[in-house]
Amino acid sequence: MLVLFCPHCQEKREEEEFGYGGEAFRIRPASPDTADDDTWADYLFMRTNPKGWNWELWSHATGCRKFFVVKRNTATNSIAGSWTLSDGRKVYDAEGGSQ
Amino acid sequence: MTSHRIRHEKARVDFGRPISFHFDGKSYTGYAGDTLASALLANGVRMLGRSFKYGRPRGIVGAGAEEPNALTQVETGAATIPNLKATQVELYDGLTARRTTGWPALDFDLKSVSGRFSRFMPAGFYYKTFQSRALWPKFEHVIRQAAGYGSAPEEADLDSYDHSHRHAEVVVVGGGPCGLLTALNLGRAGLNVTLLDEQRELGGWLLSYPHAIIDGQPGYDWLKNIIAELRSLPRVQIFTRTSAFALHDLNLIQAVEQLQDHLPLAERSETSPRQRLHRIRASHIVLATGAIERPLVFGNNDLPGILTASALTTYLNRYGVAVGRRVVMQTSNDFAYQGACDLARAGCSVVLADTRTRPNTVWEQRAHAAGVDVRPGYAISGALGSRAVKAAKLVKISADQNSISGDGPTIECDALGSSGGLSPTVHLYCHDGGRPHWDEEKLAFVAPAMGRAATGIYCVGGITGTFGLQPALMQAHEVSDAVLAATGKASVGERRSIETDEPNAIPARRIFRVPDGKVEGHGKKAFVDFQNDVTAADIHLAVRENYRSIEHIKRYTALGFGTDQGKLSNVNGFAIAAEALGKSIPDVGTTTYRPAYSPVTFGTLAGPHEGDTFEPKRYTPMHASHVARGAVFENVGQWLRPQYFLKAGEDQDAAIRRECIAARRGVGIMDASTLGKIDLQGKDAREFLNRVYANSWTQLAPGKCRYGLMLDENGMVMDDGVTACISDEHFAMTTTTGGAARVLSWLENWHQTEWPDLDVYMTSVTDHWATAAVVGPKSREVLAKVCSDIDLSPSSFKFMDWREGTVAGVAARVFRISFSGELAFEVNVDANYGYHLWEALLAAGAEFDITPYGTDAMHLLRAEKGFIIVGQDTDGSMTPFDLDMAWAVSMKKPFSFIGKRSFARSDTAGPNRKQLVGLLTEDPSIVLAEGAQIIEAPEVNPPVAMLGHVTSSYFSPELGRSIALAVVRDGIKRRSPEGQNAGRDRLFAYFGGQTHRVQVVSPVFVDPKGERQNA
Amino acid sequence: MLEHVSRSPLHAFGLPLQATAINDTRGVWANELPSLGYVSLRGDSKDRTFVEKVTHSLGVALPTSPCTYAGTDGAKVLWISPDEWLIVSQRDRIGSLAADLKAALQGVRSQVADNSGGYTQVLLRGRNALDVLQHTTVYDFAALEPGRVVGTTFGKSSVYAHRSGEGFCLVMRRSFADYIWRYLVRAAAPYGLGIAVVETTGHAALVVA
Repeated sequence: MLVLFCPHCQEKREEEEFGYGGEAFRIRPASPDTADDDTWADYLFMRTNPKGWNWELWSHATGCRKFFVVKRNTATNSIAGSWTLSDGRKVYDAEGGSQ
Repeated sequence: MTSHRIRHEKARVDFGRPISFHFDGKSYTGYAGDTLASALLANGVRMLGRSFKYGRPRGIVGAGAEEPNALTQVETGAATIPNLKATQVELYDGLTARRTTGWPALDFDLKSVSGRFSRFMPAGFYYKTFQSRALWPKFEHVIRQAAGYGSAPEEADLDSYDHSHRHAEVVVVGGGPCGLLTALNLGRAGLNVTLLDEQRELGGWLLSYPHAIIDGQPGYDWLKNIIAELRSLPRVQIFTRTSAFALHDLNLIQAVEQLQDHLPLAERSETSPRQRLHRIRASHIVLATGAIERPLVFGNNDLPGILTASALTTYLNRYGVAVGRRVVMQTSNDFAYQGACDLARAGCSVVLADTRTRPNTVWEQRAHAAGVDVRPGYAISGALGSRAVKAAKLVKISADQNSISGDGPTIECDALGSSGGLSPTVHLYCHDGGRPHWDEEKLAFVAPAMGRAATGIYCVGGITGTFGLQPALMQAHEVSDAVLAATGKASVGERRSIETDEPNAIPARRIFRVPDGKVEGHGKKAFVDFQNDVTAADIHLAVRENYRSIEHIKRYTALGFGTDQGKLSNVNGFAIAAEALGKSIPDVGTTTYRPAYSPVTFGTLAGPHEGDTFEPKRYTPMHASHVARGAVFENVGQWLRPQYFLKAGEDQDAAIRRECIAARRGVGIMDASTLGKIDLQGKDAREFLNRVYANSWTQLAPGKCRYGLMLDENGMVMDDGVTACISDEHFAMTTTTGGAARVLSWLENWHQTEWPDLDVYMTSVTDHWATAAVVGPKSREVLAKVCSDIDLSPSSFKFMDWREGTVAGVAARVFRISFSGELAFEVNVDANYGYHLWEALLAAGAEFDITPYGTDAMHLLRAEKGFIIVGQDTDGSMTPFDLDMAWAVSMKKPFSFIGKRSFARSDTAGPNRKQLVGLLTEDPSIVLAEGAQIIEAPEVNPPVAMLGHVTSSYFSPELGRSIALAVVRDGIKRRSPEGQNAGRDRLFAYFGGQTHRVQVVSPVFVDPKGERQNA
Repeated sequence: MLEHVSRSPLHAFGLPLQATAINDTRGVWANELPSLGYVSLRGDSKDRTFVEKVTHSLGVALPTSPCTYAGTDGAKVLWISPDEWLIVSQRDRIGSLAADLKAALQGVRSQVADNSGGYTQVLLRGRNALDVLQHTTVYDFAALEPGRVVGTTFGKSSVYAHRSGEGFCLVMRRSFADYIWRYLVRAAAPYGLGIAVVETTGHAALVVA
């Protein structure tokens, strides 16, 4: 089981307290009605699923119920950090979207 | 006692406390401090079973967790535990145990016959023989029964088990000298230290080698002092009888503590758990798990009476038991010498064959002084005997290659011990991804001393291949310093070097399989893995059959499987495989070490998650009332809901029929408290609803309610419910009972990740409200008796309105909504008053024979109206259009609501979609099975096109006939026009080997115009 | 209002009848605090207007540091998340407290929801109170400091917990209370469980700190 730092509670907590929310920063097309089928299908179904560093969405389900992001290495379970959605977004963008 | 017991003052058993126990129906006596194994050996019990495949006699080999053979079934009935190693079972008064092997009888074993045909049972025998699936079931029962494992308990376990979650700065695993010294150093520095040891008594290896001298002190005195100081340190916690069996990511250790297994049954506490699972998250972990001596592989090495050299030593020194009086030992190293000396001094005749031509001269002198007959350059090529070892055949082996260079004597013996070197206990180190490396000098897979210090895992002592006591204790100081530095504490400080009486070790001989001068497979069987009957020849055969990876060789031969997980066998197996493959040992590598290090009972893993704490059971405030009225409950998610209420003389069908008729003709009442309820407030609450529901909320005025379909982004229905407008910026949403938590998380996810700017907050008020649905033509009259401040008249309080008022003296929200199609009011109050409300409504309704009804009647009533249940009539692949609910979709809303875009996907928009319809059987008495397949023709000639399936099916008391809902390909256009019985499309429902003709109709069977609910 | 017909979530266990004064014959003492009211409050802790209005209305400084709580004789405010608090007060005060808050927050982005039927709390006392919590939750309660409140798992459900005197206070959802109580009873069995007499009215029931 992992230990995650909740950026809202400001504490490390056991994985049992959290829910996994899939890959983070999956962006809903701004105008779905005019998005073509490929764009929409990409948004609905495609994930990067990397071996290595992955930006993940987690929720602190039995704690503060807030969503936040974690950068985790899927091969080693190393965790680079946890951020609030807005702070994580800045780091993610600074890294060029994905690493 | 028998002549096997040697009383000496260093023994860790209490000769003043004899203990009687029963084994295989016979009574024996041992002493307090014995294990079942030491007591059996003391009583001369040698043969403890027959082997897995060949039915060969087997006895005790080891003295601890490594034991492969001595599996016993301890106690009987509800208290029984199968497959405990006799070497780990502490003796207690009245202990009852039996062998687990030897079916059908120990003395005459069918498999001993099969043993004669063993060349027909090579490696991979089961794979080869049972490739035919048809044969396997016939043989499986016999093979499983003969396989040598104990019986699973057949009675419910009367004991309790619990879990404990701990956090520690440091966990030290292993209470041997290194673990103790490290714990002491860290504890003295004030760290929070948890020390785990699997044995009854701390001391580890020192308990077996009491003659060791440390810093001039006898080993036991050194132990006593260090343990006393450790126990005095307030932040050090010591757990004995606690086996750390797994190490997971981020330094999580799981350990099982035996709290009561060592106590006589009558003395065990009923209020305390039998075993406790500790889950310990540690900043730093020090693995001081030591090493296990591996035997050498030689012919007939599995005869009872053949043990590891260290086990012979342990039984003598720790338990005062001489396994035999005439002992022959062979060794590749120095470690066996101390035991040989101790056995000789205890009066045994001891011959020690050292496979090295030049032994350690200090040890040689000490052995001679003790009276040991040391034979340098000799090895035991085979053992002789049938049911126990009788003699050892010695051969001279060449100094530089692994071959016989000359003959040697055959020496009669009643015990034989061998030592092929020490295998570090690296299991925990490897559980979370650590890899041991082969040390060619130590001839062992070892873990590095600094372990993975960066993540807080350290290793010390035997696990690192540091086998000498003096260097290991020095290493304990080094590791302590490293942990202290990492935690910001001062170093242990100046320390003098530790002195012991150990001679400097000289290298071991590199030998695993003792040669017998024959091609592998042609001599006497030489076992590598005792529990799985894997011989050296089997490994060679696997390699000849082209298995190359050690993981494949393991699975083909079964090497290292079973309850001992290859603690004695793995390294020998890897080395023999390496030789057969012509590779080096590190190139072959190890198999993967996985938890658990040693077996753990299911009871411990389950812990408190059983009985009435297995899973949360959620009750509504009205529960006691339901119980009093004969409710039969069903689980809906974690909730318990009344399924129906039984009256005297009724069966389930009669009860449901009575409840439905009451709701349609008179008045019924249902507990709807379990529905999910979410309070939404904010300027943008309305916009938020527009985005998360398919329909429009723009026009919904305060005082009004609306039904909504919630879709996922694929456009599929995921939940439904009624939402009320409390005020322009305040809404009360309901969700399905099972969907409540998921929906709230879904809404929060969208709000937090996509639309944080929307001014809306949502909070679960599911538990705050108790809800009673009063249903039926008389419901208004009932409500009027307990509610005077709401105008209930049809013109004032319309269908889909809600009002605030007082019901039965309690502040209430009353919703005029209906899941039955009848006139109905759902009354919501603070849950603390739920019971009061319910009883008050029942009292008010008594004159109308108000009838509580359960979920069965609820399901039936709504099916008569064609109302869906999400998850029953939908399965995540149904759009609102598939459900013929286009009225609940607003395509004109400015924001592209969740799921909308997916309506236009080719698959969602295309033809041939399964759609919700009603079905009427031609024979009105037939109630279709839910799940019945819909097909086109009455004959079933595979392949048959499956058009859909029945999702809901009941016998309707209102209509006096069966009804069903189904999803059917292109179902909507197959429907007969309303009110017409002449079917446009007739199909067939298939189940239970029969087909039934059905007519496809509208799903609304009762009151299609909705006159009743609007009454 | 109709207090005599009110039934707390643990009503079925008949705890008040079993209660005795705390003594040292048992390792763990527990009971439900049944007469409290709860308000769920949402708003932005970075919004100064919101914080000021709440503080003024409650007479308690709204705790904005993560995992802390604050209280007076009248109300205890638990931090749940940066935009959520649970306010605990005497049940008979909760209606006016919620109405006052709602009025004070008119026009401010916020939510005020009476959740009095939705929660209850259990007080844990005794020398083995911490041991019992270690059997039930993954959180490191040994390290929990006074003044801090945490939301964490409890068996297969969840609680908000904080220290209370030399013991702990567990706040739980109504429908999980039965499970949590049974779980506590089971976990406490090895230490001996006593049902403690607790103050059910007045500010003592709030047991701040």
